Formats: sequence, C-alpha cells, structure tokens
Amino acid sequence: MRMDTVIMGGGLSGLTCGIALAKRGQRVTIVASGLSTLQFNCGSMELLGCIDGKAVTSPLEAIATLPQGHPYSKIGTDRIATLAEQAKSLLDDAGVIMEGNAAANHWRITPMGIAKPAWLTLFGHLHIDDLNQLPARRVALMCVRGFFDQPNGMLANGLKELGFEVEKIEFTTDDITALRRSPSEMRASSLSKHLVSNHALLRVADQINSLTGDAELVLMPSVLADEEAVRTLQSMVNKPLRMIATLPPSVPGARIQTLLRHYFRMLGGNYLMGDSAVSGTFDGDLLTAITTAKLGDMPLKADNFVLATGSFISRGLIADYERVYEPVLGLDVDADAEREQWTRFGVLEQQAYMGYGVATDNNLRCLKQGKTISNLHAIGSVLSGHDAIKMGDGTGVSLLTALAAAQDILGNK
Amino acid sequence: MVTEDIYNKEYDVIIVGGGVTGAGTARDCALRGLSVLLVERNDYSTGATGRNHGLMHSGARYAVTDGESARECISENMILRRIARHCVEETDGLFITLPEDDLAYQRTFVEACQSAGIRADIIDPEEARRIEPAVNPDLIGAVRIPDASIDPFRLTIANLLDARMHGAEALNHHEVEGLILNQGRVEGVKLFNKLKGEHVEVRGRVVVNAAGIWGQRIAEMAGCKISMFPARGALLIFGHRVNQMVINRCRKPANADILVPDDTVCVIGTTSDRIPIETVDDMRVTREEVDILLKEGIKLAPSLATTRVIRAYAGVRPLVASDDDPSGRSISRGIVCLDHAKRDGVEGFITITGGKMMTYRLMGEIATNAVCAKLGNTAACVTAAQPLPGSEEGAPSQSDLTKRYSFGQRAAIGRHGSLAARIEKDNDIDNALVCECEGVTVGEIKYAVQQLHVHNLVNLRRRTRVGMGTCQGKLCSCRAASLMGEMSHDVKRAQQDLASFLDERWKGMRPVAWGDTLREAQLTAAIYEGLCGLDMAVNTQGKEDQQ
Amino acid sequence: MAERMQLCNISVNNFEQCTKCSICTTVCPVAAVTTDYPGPKQAGPDGERYRLKDPAYYDKMLKLCLNCKRCEVACPSDVHIADIIQRARMSASEGKRASLRDTMLANTDLLGTMANLVAPVANATLGLKPTKLVMDSIMAIDKHRTFPAYSRQKFTTWFKRNAAKEQDAYAHHVSYFHGCYVNYNFPKLGQDLVKLMNAIGYGVHLLDKEQCCGVALIANGLYKQARRQGQTNITSIRKSVNDDHRQVITTSSSCTFNLRDEYPAMLDIDNKDVRDGISLATRFIYNLVDDGKVKLVFKQDYKRRLAYHTACHMQRMGWQLFSIELLRMIPGLDLVELEQNCCGISGTYGFKKENYERSQAIGSILFKDIADAQVEAVTTDCETCKWQIEMSTGLPVENPISVLADALDVEATRQANNIN
Repeated sequence: MRMDTVIMGGGLSGLTCGIALAKRGQRVTIVASGLSTLQFNCGSMELLGCIDGKAVTSPLEAIATLPQGHPYSKIGTDRIATLAEQAKSLLDDAGVIMEGNAAANHWRITPMGIAKPAWLTLFGHLHIDDLNQLPARRVALMCVRGFFDQPNGMLANGLKELGFEVEKIEFTTDDITALRRSPSEMRASSLSKHLVSNHALLRVADQINSLTGDAELVLMPSVLADEEAVRTLQSMVNKPLRMIATLPPSVPGARIQTLLRHYFRMLGGNYLMGDSAVSGTFDGDLLTAITTAKLGDMPLKADNFVLATGSFISRGLIADYERVYEPVLGLDVDADAEREQWTRFGVLEQQAYMGYGVATDNNLRCLKQGKTISNLHAIGSVLSGHDAIKMGDGTGVSLLTALAAAQDILGNK
Repeated sequence: MVTEDIYNKEYDVIIVGGGVTGAGTARDCALRGLSVLLVERNDYSTGATGRNHGLMHSGARYAVTDGESARECISENMILRRIARHCVEETDGLFITLPEDDLAYQRTFVEACQSAGIRADIIDPEEARRIEPAVNPDLIGAVRIPDASIDPFRLTIANLLDARMHGAEALNHHEVEGLILNQGRVEGVKLFNKLKGEHVEVRGRVVVNAAGIWGQRIAEMAGCKISMFPARGALLIFGHRVNQMVINRCRKPANADILVPDDTVCVIGTTSDRIPIETVDDMRVTREEVDILLKEGIKLAPSLATTRVIRAYAGVRPLVASDDDPSGRSISRGIVCLDHAKRDGVEGFITITGGKMMTYRLMGEIATNAVCAKLGNTAACVTAAQPLPGSEEGAPSQSDLTKRYSFGQRAAIGRHGSLAARIEKDNDIDNALVCECEGVTVGEIKYAVQQLHVHNLVNLRRRTRVGMGTCQGKLCSCRAASLMGEMSHDVKRAQQDLASFLDERWKGMRPVAWGDTLREAQLTAAIYEGLCGLDMAVNTQGKEDQQ
Repeated sequence: MAERMQLCNISVNNFEQCTKCSICTTVCPVAAVTTDYPGPKQAGPDGERYRLKDPAYYDKMLKLCLNCKRCEVACPSDVHIADIIQRARMSASEGKRASLRDTMLANTDLLGTMANLVAPVANATLGLKPTKLVMDSIMAIDKHRTFPAYSRQKFTTWFKRNAAKEQDAYAHHVSYFHGCYVNYNFPKLGQDLVKLMNAIGYGVHLLDKEQCCGVALIANGLYKQARRQGQTNITSIRKSVNDDHRQVITTSSSCTFNLRDEYPAMLDIDNKDVRDGISLATRFIYNLVDDGKVKLVFKQDYKRRLAYHTACHMQRMGWQLFSIELLRMIPGLDLVELEQNCCGISGTYGFKKENYERSQAIGSILFKDIADAQVEAVTTDCETCKWQIEMSTGLPVENPISVLADALDVEATRQANNIN
C-alpha cells in the first residue's frame, strides 16, 4: 500500500504532523499502537517551563539559551515563534480551543494546587496570567463525593498557598452516586460519560448554585467530556466556573486526542489504531517501506516516513537488561551505555533516561549506523536532548518538531 | 490511650525492637499477665523481619548442616500452621537437583531431614514438573518437603494486636537513645519520639533487647558487649507468581537458591555477604547482586528470565558471636538469650537474638521465661496453642461475599483473616478501591489507620499492601495520601509523606529499572512531577526516616 | 539461556507489560453502561495476579465482558486484556455445563441445519409472538430479538448445483470459508463473492470439510466443542493452503479473527503454518489490486451514500483499511467512515435476555452516529453487527463484498482482466 507519508505513532506529535501533511493534500497513514500519553495530559501545552529548576516566564527568550542538542535548537530558535503560532491555529482548526501565547507563559493549576508554567491551556480550565493578580479571592472548590482521583485536600491547600480563600464543598448527584456503585471505575473518564445530558448537567449546576454562597469563582475537577458540556454547565452556573485537571485517565487529554484524530480522519487520513510498526526496509539512505504487526505481508510504502513513537513509556525506546535501543528500525540512540547511569538515587532527581532518544541530524532526520536516513524524520518524545519532566517542554517539542518535520517533507517534494 | 499516658506508666517489661521477635515476646509477656511496652525506632517489621523471603522453613534447609535449627524449624512450622493460619499459605516446597548438582547429596539430605523429624518425600522429576510447572524442566531429582509461605508483616502485626488485646502498649517511630541506668540496674529507656521530635523516659522493671542487628548498640548502652556479624542478603521481587510451591536447590546452601511464592508475587534470594556493622543501614542493592540473583534464579525457574522484576531489596541477618569462643569469631547458630545480670552484672536487662523469623515464637517464649524468672511470674506459656487474632476458627469465608464485584473484600480476607470483619464494607465509598493492583479499599485503609499503628504511607503499605503491586503506587499512593490527609487533618504532611513514599518505592525499583519497570517509573514521574508538580510542593531535603 | 535474560517481559498473555495506566478502562463499552462490570483493567491484569495466587479470586462478573477487544486495541502496551479475561472465564467454567440456551445460541450451524430443513416454518415460528415469549421466559433469549431469517436453500447446496463445476476453469484459485451465516441465513453474500472472484479470474472452492468456526461456542463456554471443530477446520485449511496452494478467504471478520487469532490464543490450536493463508476477502482483493495483478471496473451510473462501521474484531485485526480502501475505489460511492464504537451485540451476547438492555445501551452511540451520517445503508464486515444495526436503526446493512459486487461492472471487469 503506497502513501505519501507514513507516520509511526499516533500521539500528539504524530497526529499534528499527519494533520499538517493531510491539509496540504498528502495521503497519510498513521500507525498508532494504542492510545497515547495524551491520555495523561492535563489540558495544557508547555513550550518551555523550567530551566535549572527555575520557572521560565518568557519561553521564546529562554529557548535561545538552550544547548545545541535540544530539539528546539535543531529546528532553529528563529523559527520557534512562527511554528508556535501555527501549532495554535492547527489545534484551533481541529476544535482544540486553547488560550495563551508563546511570548509569555501563564500558570496552570495542577491537581495538587501547584502553579506550573504553561503556554496554552484548554478552554474552560483554570489558568492564571499573574500570580500577584488572582482572578478572584473567594473560591468554592467542588469535590465530587466518592471520587478519589482528585486530591482535594492538597488542591485546596495549594490554592490557599497561592492566596485564594478556599472552601471545599463536597457534592453529588444521582448520576454520580449511581456510578460510585462500582468499586473500581469511578474515574474521571467514567464521570465524563455520565455527565453529558442537559439533565445530568443541570443536576450538577443545581448543586453548585445552591452550595457555593458568596464564592467569586467555582472550581471543579475536569470531568466534562467536551467543550459543549463545559459551555453548557458554565451557562447553568451563576458564577464563573473553571475546571482543574484530575489524575489520569485525563478527560481533557482524551478530548484533545479524539479531536485531533477526528480532524485527521476528516482530512482523509488513515489512522490505524492498535497496530504498530515492526520493521523497515532500507535502500541506501532511504527507508522504502515499513511492515506492521497487523497488516502483515502488506508493507506500507511511502516517500517519507516519520518516527513519532514516543519515549520508553510508549515503547518508542526500549531499555532492557543490557542497553537502550530504538526497536522498530534499529536507529542510533543517544543514551548512556551502563545501566547505573540511566537513573539517579532520589526519585525527584533529574533522571538521565528522560533525556534519551533517537539521534538526529539538524533537520530532525534519523541516523542509522552514523548515516542520515534522508526520508525519515523523528519528532516528539522519541527525540533525545530534552526532558519533559524537568524542563516542561514535552508537548511543545511534540507540536513544534511535528510541524518542522512536515515543512521539511513538503519542501522536499 | 494517648501517647503521654503511655509514657507515664511503669511497666513490668519494656521490649526494644518491633520486629517479629519483639512482637512475639510482647505477646507472650502480655499473655502471661505482665504489663508490657514495646518500642520500635521505625516501623514494625522494618528490619530483618520484613527483609527476607517470607519463607516458612520446614527446616529442611538446615537439616544437613544444623540439626538443632532444623528441629526447631519443623516444630515451629507446625505450630504456625495452627496459630497463624491467615499469615501462612501452605504451599509445600521442592528441593530440586539439577544436572550440575550431585544427586548423591539428595540421599544425605533426605536422611538428615528424617532424623530432624521433617517429612521428606523423594518424587519423580516428572511428578515435580506436574505439581510445579514452573520448575526447571531439566531437574534430575526432587524432594517434597513441608515448606510454606508466610507474610512477616502480617505475622508481626498479629502478634502485636494480640499483645495489645492483653493490655500491652506499643509505640513505633520511637527510637531508644539510651537506657535509664541506676546502680548497675537497667530501669527503663530514654526515647526519642520521631513523629513529634520529643525526648521522653519510660520506666520498666526489665528491658528486653530484641533489636536484631541493632541490638549490639542497645547492649552497649548498658555497657554490655555483644558481637554481631551482619550477614547481608539481597532479594528480587517479580511482578506476579510464577511458582505455586517453594523451590529450593538440593545442595549445600548457596546464593539465590530459594524461590518463594509470596501473596501475589514471588521472591528469589538471597545473596550472602558479611558486611561491617557500620553499614547495616545502607540497604541499596548493587548491580552485582541483581546479576547473581537473576543468573541463579533462572536455574530454579527458567521463566524468571522473562518475568518482570519489580523491586530489589536487602536485609541483614543478625548473626551473633558465640559466648563460648573467647576469640569472638565463631558464630552461634541458634537462639541466643543473654541474661546480662549473670553475664555482665547488669540487672534488669535481657537480650534475645540469633535465631530466625521461623523461631520467633520460641525466642519470645525463651525471653519471656527469662523475664518471668526475674519478676517471679509463674504463668505458663500459651503462645503455641492460642491462635493469633485473625486466625481464629470461623473466619469469614469467600462465599459470604456479596453478589457484586468484591475483589477488595476477598483480598482483605486474605490479608486480615477473621479481622476483615472489622473493615467497613456496607457502603459504596468504603468499598471503593484505592489500590487497584492489590485490592485495598477505603474501608481497609480506615481500619489500618485507626487500629494498626499507621502514621505514614510506608506503615500503611506494610499493613495493607497498598502500593506493593506491579505499579508500585502509581495512582493509589495519591489516593491513599489524600485519605490520610483528610483523616489526620494535616494535608501538608500527607503531601510530604507522598513524596517520601514515592522515593521509598523508587529505591527498590532503581536497581531493576529496565524494561517495564523503567516504563512504570517514567509514567509515575509524568504523573507526579509533570502533571501534579509534586516536586515543587515538597521539601526534598531532610526527609523523615522512611527505610 | 543467560544471554536471553530480561530482554523482554513476556508471560502468558503479556500481562506484565501493563503499567496500570488505566487507558483500557476509558474505552470499555460495558463498564460505560453498567457498574456491575469491574472494567478491563480489574477483570484483566489486576485480577489475573490474584487468580494466579488462587483461582477462587475469579469473579463471576467477568461474564459481562463482550470480548469486543477494544481494550486491547487501546492498550499502548500490547497487553492481551480480553484474552486474559476470556481465559479466566474458560478456567472457571471447566467442568461446568453450559445452559440449554447458551448451547442453542452457540451451535449456529446445528440450529442452522435444522432450520434450513424447515425454513419457512422455522422463520415463521421463530418470528411468532408466542414463540418469542416462550424463548424469552424459558430460554432467556430476549423477546426484542429477531433471529436472522433462515434461507430455504443452503449456500453450499446452491454452490454445488450452480457454480462448482465452472470453478476449475479459472487460472487462479481460492478456498472459501463461508461460515454459518452465509450458509444458512444469507447465501447471497456467498454468491456475491463468487461473482466478484470469478470476474477477476479466481475460481472459488469449498473446503473439504467446514464446520462452524466456533466463535459463538467460545463465547458461550463450549470450549471442548470449539476446539474439536477448530481442529477439523484447521485440518481442511491446512490441506487447502499447504497441499492445494489455495489461500482461504472469508467474508466474515469474526470468522477470520477466530480462525487466525482466537484458535491459538483461546483454544490452543496451533495454526502458525496456515495463519497467513487465511484472509478476509476484501484484504485479499485489495492486495491483488494494489499489486496490479487484477483490475476492478465499476458501473458508471452507480451512486450511493454509505457509512462504514468497523466491527470490533475487524478493528482488533487492524484490517478495516482494506475494506475501506477497496470501497473507496468505487467512483460513485460516498463513504462515511464512522467513529469506531461497538454496536453492542457481540455475537450471541445481545441475544441473551439479561444482556439486552446493556447491549442496546452500548450500541446507542453508534446508532446515533449512523443517524447523523444520513446514509441510505451501512456497510460492515460482521454479520452480527448487521443484525444489531438493522434491528436498531432500521437501515439495511451490507457486507462490503456485496456492495462491491453490486457496483461492479462484471463484463468490463472480466475484459480488463482478460477473462473470457
């Protein structure tokens, strides 16, 4: 089966790249081995959050100081602002409505009530531009009775430390109480499936309206499936209402993935869910085809390929007893050889393995045995040289490298 | 009772050390009518008690080299099957001979077992493969013996609970800083309450040193010298059970020759290295230890080569120098009970050490006999006959469960035996699962916090298995920390505790951080640091002692 | 052995790759509609660790699993979650007898054989209200269900009388695993396939001996019978693929999935040597076209708007691409690809009275999508999805092969492929 471009990996970077290419008329197939780490996303995108443990306020300026091997440096720091704009409008086109801009980070509020720097935050979710100018004083924190994936005490405490006056208010509705009958499935995602109809939302709104007294802002866990539900509930509640991300599975993260996938399909793209690339055929410095687990003897041929298979968690990289490697194509990786070097003793220390990834040239093209594969780009978390945890650059790298690779591919043609 | 009231009483006996020996001694003393206080510097079963295989020896392992230990083991083994049913799983064990081993040893082994009173049946290798499919299929000989699996955390707590039901008090996170000495008598202990940062003194007529490897230091506080030989052993935990029976090598005891099915996991161990006494608090497992354990482990059960390793840990066996040897070099094999009045001229002070987890009850009996002799108490020991709390007849059965999905209730019965009846389960919230891997419900956590001396998540883990599944606390530790924060009304501390707990989990994961265990760690970091920003909320320095 | 140490962690069903990420729980259609079912993570990997310790930890709520495999498709770690659950059900049911109702539903071929003999009577009887009420109360087959009509003439009878003898004349050959549905209920699909294959130069043959693939037997706990029938099928397939060099094609995604994947995973039937020789007809034809070996010519005046529904097992196989791409070759076809949601029937699951409401609740998302798509018919590769969607939406449902056969300009195609 012949495509213009085949993308291995269906997470944020793979979908972004696929959309960018399909929009320009390419025939694109994405091979996605299951749902991606977007399912843990908090509903925000980060361009660059932290350098040396310090919060970054102006990511575009800070990016200019990053070391050579960082994916942003490879893209070229002068392109970052434009690509960031493009990313935002691509998300917009897909129906992922986000607020924020690349010149100045705002603060997202985590499930534990901690302010973390972010670039974009999904519509309806709490974010604060300036911590010295809080959007409200008195906050009602709505806690869903029997829902344990939001640490309400920590969240309330964190909000207080930011300067809010917080009242924790536990509530339930018939729909929620019925769901709690399950000992295991009272998850944010389950709530999102049961708080859909106007009736169900109205019951939530009644609770909020009757319990929140003189609060100036109402916060609740992000358990509403889509923008429509958020808008509906906001319209029913008589005070400003914002969502705060929960522990996984994340409803806003799932929403982003679903919207991007819909959009990609709408543009004519093929999304092979539950399949994964297993090997490739090379001809000199070109990758000519890949085989997948499910398509079997029917290889996917294409002019260009994109590796967007993610880090260890997504199995884009494998660490075994002996080594770190890239499992599909046997590409060169940037990683330490000895197992002891992969990790550090303290759990919160910077772990070396977080920065491992496939080696690329300055156009994000992969290397195999030291030689550039000229039609194979790597994008997103599979890239080496960045650390989504300590630098807060994971989603930004995914979006921007995806767009940069798409431009390179379209330029090549 | 509030802690201050506990401090202000005077006790017949104060027991130092909350391992299984201390807990067993406390139980025995309490059952004989003595007033008892047990103090533990960290958590119960933090030391050697919680850092072994969880193997209920039949004694077969010692039969050839140490007949007396073997006889003690089989005798205690049979007792524990009766009194600690809810802590024991009667798996039986195999001693296998591999092609590289000398089959002639099997005969020596079986004869030694028989003379120690241990049932030992030679079975056909084919039969061994049938009853234990995980066993190395290349085996050339097998002996079936009455080994079993035992949960040391549960066993320790059951002993403590029984002691408390009979009037004893127990304090964890209380470190002994010194002994109250008066004219050559020990009259009590000087304690440091690590939870509150307070120093207090508590008086007792007799102090029993049951501090395991740390007993050398306690003895020094009374001016007595005991020479300990710390023998370090490392072990690996696999993500699920591959074997249903204990598998041993039928040869002279060596590295990594026992594989034990423990609850939902299995454990291979141990290495064995003499270490300097100063290093007994450093329990980091080295790469070399991991390599040895895996290399030897796959000889017992080849599937370990591809089974996920979820943790590594190490413990220190408290071997004691024999008092009979003035050079101090030879090691006493069995139980050592020292009355320091006779030995060193220090009155009111007894050390109980040596021995094994298997013989904890006997050690408790011996130590209590010594205490009673001093106090003129003539009550008889009943610990061998009376079941531990949780193991009484009439434990709730699995068939009593509701029609609905009841994994948590089942798992709780497995963990707490008849005491599971104390766990609230009549409403949906108490039935909700906190730890999905191990089936720990909200009700079980409340029970543990209220009744089982739980001050932090590590305590909670030892009481309930929260965070002991393959994900090592990914979602459950946040849920549990939240619940504990709500119960203690100290959210900030709960948050700090959460970070400490994740750190404690990571310590065991790090030596085996490859493959799926590394993936697990990356996801945990993505959730707690990336998503939640926990790293920004807690003080990463000066963490509470969480060993 | 030492050099292979810890290079991967794979035990039975790969469950140790599970990182407890909980993604599977978000896609489970059953957990979405009932709190009685503990969800795929608990029923699968979480529960399995405990069942390894003691089989008594098996929970009977696991029978609510549809075996739709959506959890496996969503799993980023390739954990065979549904296989774990089905295996657990299998071990728990050992030694127990299936109910009369389950036996009847499972034996699609037996029921079919009897019904064919008396098709008009059977159709009338199975459709009658009193009969339905009896089935509802005594057999616990839901009264809302209509059994698919039985055909008066079996496909195999038609084939032997009308088509068999011409087949040897073609240059290329395939064997056709028609399955129970084509044989007893809907021979037209088989006839469409023969028409299509003949037009591109392929002779179609029956297997020496075909029995029901057993998908319903597995679902209803009749494992021994399933294994027996499976072995018969694989023996016939082996002769076709290995001796006669004829690929085996099917027109049912469920049969295909069962023959290829469930045989080894559920029934311990070794099919390694022939697995690649078993294919869905759309995939087989797509590959021929893609390789330039055959050409398809479609009618000029063909014009339809259809929605493609990816059956659960089709998605698990990852082959919807072939059916979709093949259908997209029809110039006059306006094809809407529906979002992948379960229809709720899952073979015989939805026929059972206790599952009826759950089954319809599960399918409701799909039914709404279909209504929103404003199409004249639905196309899908699974026959049980067809019953469910037809009953629940009122729209006709066709197999892609029938759509293709209908749109095909047979004469032009024969000419394009140089067939006389």
